[in-house]
Amino acid sequence: MSDADGTLFAQVRDPANRPDPYPLYARLRAHPVARQDDGTVVASGYAAIRALLHDPRVSSEDLPPAEHPPTGNPVKDWIVNPLKDRIADRHRPFIFRDPPDHGALRRQVMAQFTVARVRGMKQRTEALVAECLERCAQNRTFDLVEDLAYPLPVTVICELLGVPREDEARFHAWATQLATALEPESRKDETLRACNTETFDAIADYMRDLIREKRRAPADDMLSGLATAKDPEAGRMSDPDLIATAILLLIAGHETTVNLITNGMLTLLRHPDEFARLRADPERAPRVIEELLRYEPPVHYRTRLARAPIPFAGTVIPEGAPLVLLFAAGNRDPARFPHPDRFDPDRADNQHFGFGGALHYCVGAPLARIEAEAALTALAARLRAPRLAEDPPPYRDGSSLRGPKRLRLIIDAIA
Amino acid sequence: MRVVVDLNRCQAYAQCCYAAPERFVLRGDEMLVYDPAPPEAERAAIDRAVLACPVRAIRVEPAAAEGTA
Repeated sequence: MSDADGTLFAQVRDPANRPDPYPLYARLRAHPVARQDDGTVVASGYAAIRALLHDPRVSSEDLPPAEHPPTGNPVKDWIVNPLKDRIADRHRPFIFRDPPDHGALRRQVMAQFTVARVRGMKQRTEALVAECLERCAQNRTFDLVEDLAYPLPVTVICELLGVPREDEARFHAWATQLATALEPESRKDETLRACNTETFDAIADYMRDLIREKRRAPADDMLSGLATAKDPEAGRMSDPDLIATAILLLIAGHETTVNLITNGMLTLLRHPDEFARLRADPERAPRVIEELLRYEPPVHYRTRLARAPIPFAGTVIPEGAPLVLLFAAGNRDPARFPHPDRFDPDRADNQHFGFGGALHYCVGAPLARIEAEAALTALAARLRAPRLAEDPPPYRDGSSLRGPKRLRLIIDAIA
Repeated sequence: MRVVVDLNRCQAYAQCCYAAPERFVLRGDEMLVYDPAPPEAERAAIDRAVLACPVRAIRVEPAAAEGTA
């Protein structure tokens, strides 16, 4: 771990390397667990990531304490906001919680994320994809992000949660802003943190009202279920936990799926033979999507915290060290995947980290698969002679939630 | 076809239950119950379950009778 280049992860975060971080990942993997100059420890080898995902000394509670910036209003600065911060710290969403709290919260969400509810969204998702394509039917060029990949998941998650359609536009803006909270940069950038705090307050207020409304008149949606159900052990979910959970589901169900669809189309257009095969045989979609989750995953890494010294492969990860589990690098580890840089949907034994793993394995994975399949099979079936207007496309800032800002396609027609 | 789940590998990620709900069900938090001999007509759903399993615990084999066919 000592003789590694300690700037590699800083280079990964540099927007200049967003289009192709994979050569940096290969260099990082030379030391599967590498200490960076700022003290962060980056796990990039498949075996290392897997071991740390399952290690109880590795904590997901790595967020800095909540902190409202001063407003100049003494009532807010001394009473209201500190109280809000305390509540926020005690009621983190379950992606940032460890056992035992994590288990009960996750179980309560899973109880609402039923097979019937998720599969019930399949036809609806296909109809929404068709609607998006109809709107572009006359165009010879369109932006996959703005015209399909972005609106689709927000509508799907809003309908599942039970957010009224007329409020969706507000959710777009909130989700985009709060997704930046998952990037390590946002924890250091004061302006961004302040902006996220403001957004969080706005969305929390909105959710509080919506939850009250759901309790008054429960409907057949996840939010009504979460607001009224009683877990046999944990009882009813507290309001702050409920708000945090709803916000998490909104963001996680949104930003990541955008990337899966957009990275997916980009990859398929870079591999026209695979695009043609998918068009000829839509049944290949599940294979294509699993390989996309390995080859170009929507989430490149997640952060953790070492709660105790962790010996690993002849070195020790120090207690208190911020950890990065670089899933996208593990997904390309030649020690685990033969020809890792080849996009091969027929690959056998594709145990990728596209949805993370262990306790925090993506709750929304089945929904993401449905949305990606609906979008990619429709695009393959209906776009005539699609090609990329620019390659590489411009990317959004995030190095963790990594994906194109836009993906302009030129087409002969939409069938 | 014959479906075999390696229950030592299975970690109850439940992805198969979403892919082929008629053939895979979780009882309680952890116990997977599955149909070892689903009808051929459901092959697409079963294949989805195989592919979606994060630990690749599900295998599909030819049924004993069709093994030599």
